[in-house]
Amino acid sequence: MLLTDTTQQYQSNLACYCRTGNLAAIPGIHRENIREYRRLVYNVVEDMLRSAYPLAADFLPGEEWEALVNEFFSRHACQSPQVWYMPKEFYEYLAENNHPVLAAYPVLPDLLLFEWTETELFMMEDKPVDCSPSGDLLFSKLVLNPEHLLLAFDFPVHRKNAGQISDRDRGAYYAASHRNTAGEVIFTDCSPGLVRILEYLAEKPQSVRALFDRFEQEYQVLLNEDQQEHMIHFLQNALQQQLISGFKNY
Amino acid sequence: MIGIGYRKDFAETFLTGTALNPAFIEVAPENWMGIGGYWKKQFAKVLERYPLFTHGLSLSIGSPDKLDFDFLRKVKAFLKETNAVLYSEHLSYAKCDNAHLYDLLPIPFTQDAVNHVSERIRTVQDLLEQKIAIEIVSYYTPVAPELSEIQFINSILEEADCELLLDVNNVYVNGFNHHYDAAAFIEQLPMERVRYIHMAGHEKVSDTLILDTHGEAIIDPVYELFAHTLRLLDRDVPVLLERDFNIPELVELQAEMDRLNSIKESIRKEKEYAFN
Ligand SMILES: [Fe+2]
Repeated sequence: MLLTDTTQQYQSNLACYCRTGNLAAIPGIHRENIREYRRLVYNVVEDMLRSAYPLAADFLPGEEWEALVNEFFSRHACQSPQVWYMPKEFYEYLAENNHPVLAAYPVLPDLLLFEWTETELFMMEDKPVDCSPSGDLLFSKLVLNPEHLLLAFDFPVHRKNAGQISDRDRGAYYAASHRNTAGEVIFTDCSPGLVRILEYLAEKPQSVRALFDRFEQEYQVLLNEDQQEHMIHFLQNALQQQLISGFKNY
Repeated sequence: MIGIGYRKDFAETFLTGTALNPAFIEVAPENWMGIGGYWKKQFAKVLERYPLFTHGLSLSIGSPDKLDFDFLRKVKAFLKETNAVLYSEHLSYAKCDNAHLYDLLPIPFTQDAVNHVSERIRTVQDLLEQKIAIEIVSYYTPVAPELSEIQFINSILEEADCELLLDVNNVYVNGFNHHYDAAAFIEQLPMERVRYIHMAGHEKVSDTLILDTHGEAIIDPVYELFAHTLRLLDRDVPVLLERDFNIPELVELQAEMDRLNSIKESIRKEKEYAFN
């Protein structure tokens, strides 16, 4: 290292000031103008977090959001060189530290997960998929869109405005989210059974019959006609929405 | 050659309309690498039509932290994939104490920093197997300076044997904020190293401070400084119009690019006349 300890220390003092607002001595600095750096850095981080989590930012009282952004940026060392990915670290920071704000606002963890999923899917690298657009829903093997994520929520953040969700809404909710070929991210509400079916499909392409067989075996039930009808209808819709990408005919 | 910073804000209109006709575009690799979906498709369309110049944000060449080789390898792959004409970065640091700050902090103007930064630029150039262009950044406060700004910059260019991205607006802003003559400053730079020029607008927030916002149109004194720079150069250098905020109608951006081009043309004619 060619840098002296002193120079390193001054650089660290400036960076630390930008993150925390605490300024240790640095010779030669302009005391008025140095504030611009803290303001600029805060604005970049706040902007980025707000654009990744617009619902959460609006849902929390202003001061609370601001305090959270400040706390995150001063205590957490952001690792991603790509600023658009940094909001994921915000979500992880709160979750890993079991942050009190998550208990104070029980909807918040779901809201953050819901919003981050949208960004992650929207931005994620293209995943190749080997399938054909033509096939038979009932007899061909169905190929799940690899650009998908399955989600579990305690609150219906994917169905309702966060402000309208109360403790009475607490429950077990599931959703599938995926990116279609136009690049749009779509959330589909699912029952636990349907999520299981999608999990089977995530393992490998399978026919409807194979999916039903496996389901019946795993849960030791016999799917009646209505239930089968319901699942087929769901899969039909999933195909239209491109949650199922197509068919594997061999 | 006049290019423009390609932004998601105007990506759609840019591709479908005819208002903007840059000779090339510039992006930050950080905003476009490792992504897919909608933006990847848009970007692929843009790349079919325009040569790409790149201007990084997170390399943090002036950082006390170790270079991020994993990141650099990704940048290298991105440059190759996109057939980028050049890679430029800022003479500043954006990461410290193992934390990214997503902003450009000024490096102390000291001899040890010169040695440190120069060595790092050489390492990056070796890894990328190409020279990189380093940009003089605007700064709002000196940090423990021992050298003058010009000594600091010129020593690094020399020791690192790298190219210079001359942001004319940044020099103007720095001249104003730190009370020196921007034209005289540019005259002291090694013109043979200038690989790329940036032009942008700024915001004067008080009688003593200009912020380098890239949110306004270029002002006349910066155009004059641009003309002055071109007179010092003995060759054609690509010029980029940077506009990051407060994006106006695209025709207004084109008008700024046209003005840059006409200044270039008139200086070229001036020189021809002088030589004939
Ligand atoms: Fe610039």
